[in-house]
Amino acid sequence: MKILVCIKQVPDMESKFKVAASGKWYDTADLAWRMNEYDEYAVEQAVQVKEQVGDADLTVLCIGGERVKETMKKALAMGCDRGVHVADDKAAEKEPFEIAGIIAEFARDKQFDLIFTGMQSQDRGSAQVGVLTAEMLGIPSISTIVQFAYADGRIETRRELEGGVKSIVKAAAPALVTCQLGLNTPRYPTLPNIMKAKKKELLSLPVADLLKVDARQETGKMYFPVKKGGGLVLEGEIGQLVDQLIQILKEKTGVLA
Amino acid sequence: MQTLPKGGSFLFETTAPRNIFTPEDFDDEHKLIAETVTHFLAEYVFSRMEEIDAKKEGLMRELLVEAGKLGLLGADIPEQYDGTETDEICTTIIAEKVGATGSFAIAHGGHTGIGNLPIVYFGNEAQKAAYLPAIVTADKISAYALTEPGSGSDALSATSKATLSTDGKHYILNGSKTFISNAGIADIFIVYAKIDGDKFSAFIVDGHSEGLTTGAEEHKMGLKGSSTRSVFFDNVNVPVENLLYEAGKGHVVAFNILNIGRHKIAANAVGAAKLALDESARYANERKQFKVSIARFGLIKEKLAEMAIRTFAAESAVYRTGGLLNDMMHSLDRSGPDGGRITAKGIEEYALECSMEKVFASEAEAFVVDEGVQIHGGYGYIAEYPIERLYRDARVRRIFEGTNEINRNLISTTLIRRAAKRALPLMDAVSSVRSRLTTGIPVRKDAGDLVQATKDAFLFTLGIATDTFGDELLKQQEILGRLADMALLAYAMESAWCRAQKAVMNGQSGAKHKENMANAFIYTTVEKVILAAKEALANLAAGDELVKMQANVAMIFQYTPVDIIALRREIAGEISEAGKYIA
Ligand SMILES: Cc1cc2nc3c(=O)[nH]c(=O)nc-3n(C[C@H](O)[C@H](O)[C@H](O)COP(=O)(O)OP(=O)(O)OC[C@H]3O[C@@H](n4cnc5c(N)ncnc54)[C@H](O)[C@@H]3O)c2cc1C
Repeated sequence: MKILVCIKQVPDMESKFKVAASGKWYDTADLAWRMNEYDEYAVEQAVQVKEQVGDADLTVLCIGGERVKETMKKALAMGCDRGVHVADDKAAEKEPFEIAGIIAEFARDKQFDLIFTGMQSQDRGSAQVGVLTAEMLGIPSISTIVQFAYADGRIETRRELEGGVKSIVKAAAPALVTCQLGLNTPRYPTLPNIMKAKKKELLSLPVADLLKVDARQETGKMYFPVKKGGGLVLEGEIGQLVDQLIQILKEKTGVLA
Repeated sequence: MQTLPKGGSFLFETTAPRNIFTPEDFDDEHKLIAETVTHFLAEYVFSRMEEIDAKKEGLMRELLVEAGKLGLLGADIPEQYDGTETDEICTTIIAEKVGATGSFAIAHGGHTGIGNLPIVYFGNEAQKAAYLPAIVTADKISAYALTEPGSGSDALSATSKATLSTDGKHYILNGSKTFISNAGIADIFIVYAKIDGDKFSAFIVDGHSEGLTTGAEEHKMGLKGSSTRSVFFDNVNVPVENLLYEAGKGHVVAFNILNIGRHKIAANAVGAAKLALDESARYANERKQFKVSIARFGLIKEKLAEMAIRTFAAESAVYRTGGLLNDMMHSLDRSGPDGGRITAKGIEEYALECSMEKVFASEAEAFVVDEGVQIHGGYGYIAEYPIERLYRDARVRRIFEGTNEINRNLISTTLIRRAAKRALPLMDAVSSVRSRLTTGIPVRKDAGDLVQATKDAFLFTLGIATDTFGDELLKQQEILGRLADMALLAYAMESAWCRAQKAVMNGQSGAKHKENMANAFIYTTVEKVILAAKEALANLAAGDELVKMQANVAMIFQYTPVDIIALRREIAGEISEAGKYIA
């Protein structure tokens, strides 16, 4: 069985962000980097499948500059067998269609039975890469999964819908799933596994070999929202709070008019 | 590859910034290990601090077992005994992170450092196979029993006795040990006792042996969750196979373990100091008085800055030493059955540096936690705030693994002895300073020059002290103490300076902040060096001779002060903006 998991390196979300000089992305200087949270669920699930079936080969793929290798090593230490690093210093400038195109181009002739991605990235948050990749490969995709089971070439997932409603969705492999918070608790790599990961294959491919599609969107501008007035915290008895709130809504807004 | 510097040689050689290891040199594996340890501590340890410090039954063992699952107990243990045998930087990172937890750090250190290194370095094949795998998983917890009621600093005066049984199969152990960390939970004790009352030796003793009992838990100032008890031996049978290394060679085991032990204590101190600063920086941002957050007051800024500066210097010294130990280990052929002993012997080269960082880092931590309480005001005195615990937990780091007085003595006496054996050309360096003093030493232009000035002052004072006292110098503790201070401050200053320079050269982000911290540290610390030199010289000479010597000190330290207040403000600005220690 062959499994692919696609991960992205993103900044620590507690960083202080600045808009880059280009005005189209954030400034990447002085940031601490980590694995996209949703991709951690993807890696964990992929590793669990591998542990379940035993005879599986798990590849982790990541697009980015030299820096992303640290995050890839984490995936290797968590249990991936090999890494494919698509070397691209300008990955942040690529839009979801291009990223999906690169992954699909890589995966096309490799007969992966299962592909795992995060539901979205914490920085761009488009939630498009996984589903676009599946479409390009002509395989089914199930997005935002919070439960996953694999048996005899079939997957059964639970998806999260609006308002906490869940649905059960099944598909036959090959298939792609995008992983959501709640799917699992990602392991953190043990010391011996971190050291073993050092010896696993980590292949670098130039992005030019894999980028065959053109961009379909363009980021016009990145900016911070205009600062609005500060929030107001009301304290006290429930009854009084309600009165206070109604008073404020009447005075300051038109919602009760 | 660069050749390894000799221990203590930094005092007369110039160190190129690229040749020291700094936290900015962490590779991917180091960063991943740091992340794993941070996660583990947050999930298992920091979340249960109250239970830990209440000594909840079974909890410490449970935490060690969990740490074992992640491989955090086997970092020093060879792979053939189920360990990971990472590099010395990894073990330094683990010790640093764990340091912030107080009680757990002691349990972890008692088990993984002093508790298992005697076996790793000095155990034979059978002993390693029998004990190390169980230590990696915390199946067996270990403790290190050296101190006795009547012998603390003077460890070799121990009175515990081992007598060979008539059938020659056992040593019969009698005596008692005191202040033994992990005693209440240990399955294995490394015990030092004298065979036939004179051959000081180390033994591996089964904690469940008949005749071995432990006393009540000590009520301590801090580290309340760590077990500390006396251990009593009443005719305890120890199989002869459990003698560690050789009869009469216990001191070799004990002293070699202390080097790594001290390095780890220094790393512990850095981790605790960082947490204390993080807590204080956040508190200063949140706490408002006179309608502004207290972080905006000049006197609070100064505290935050100085806390960061000393933490930075200690961190720089600790990782520089970690790098030295690591390079040393990699330069040795440790593959044979004697690998452990070879390692221990190699590490001894940097015994001085280990003592220096231990003294410096434990005192830096003491300053940081103290100012941390001050920033918290009355709340700092209340147990609800972590700074209160950090303050109490810090105190013992200046006492154990060799008190800081013992380490200061050791630093100077080791230097003097190595010089006497011509293992270190210190006396040539003294002559060179003297000749430069006659031709004239130029004004010091920057912090790097002031590091050099500190070394010159050390050498100058050492020369006068040797002239005055000859061999008797080894008995002049007040002079030895001041020499040690100058040497260890030179080490810390140079470590901070080289780290900042390396960051500047590599164009690293935050290089300016590092440079500010190194500058502030060096320009303030140099005044302590001058004081130490002056006090020592005034004891060594009088009259015209002293006047001349003080003129020499003045020439060594010709420099223009920098605006420390402005520097500290800038540093505090960075810390307050981040709300935590950053370098
Ligand atoms: C919490 C805790 C945990 C410990 N854990 C362990 C453990 O796991 N295993 C273990 O074996 N021990 C342990 N110890 C013991 C510790 O190592 C000793 O307390 C320490 O070595 C000092 O010995 P002492 O207490 O007898 O003090 P002393 O040696 O009596 O020292 C008292 C004072 O005299 C000074 N002094 C002593 N000799 C000299 C000298 N030659 N020159 C100048 N000054 C001198 C000291 O610096 C100190 O200030 C622990 C202690 C504590 C408090």
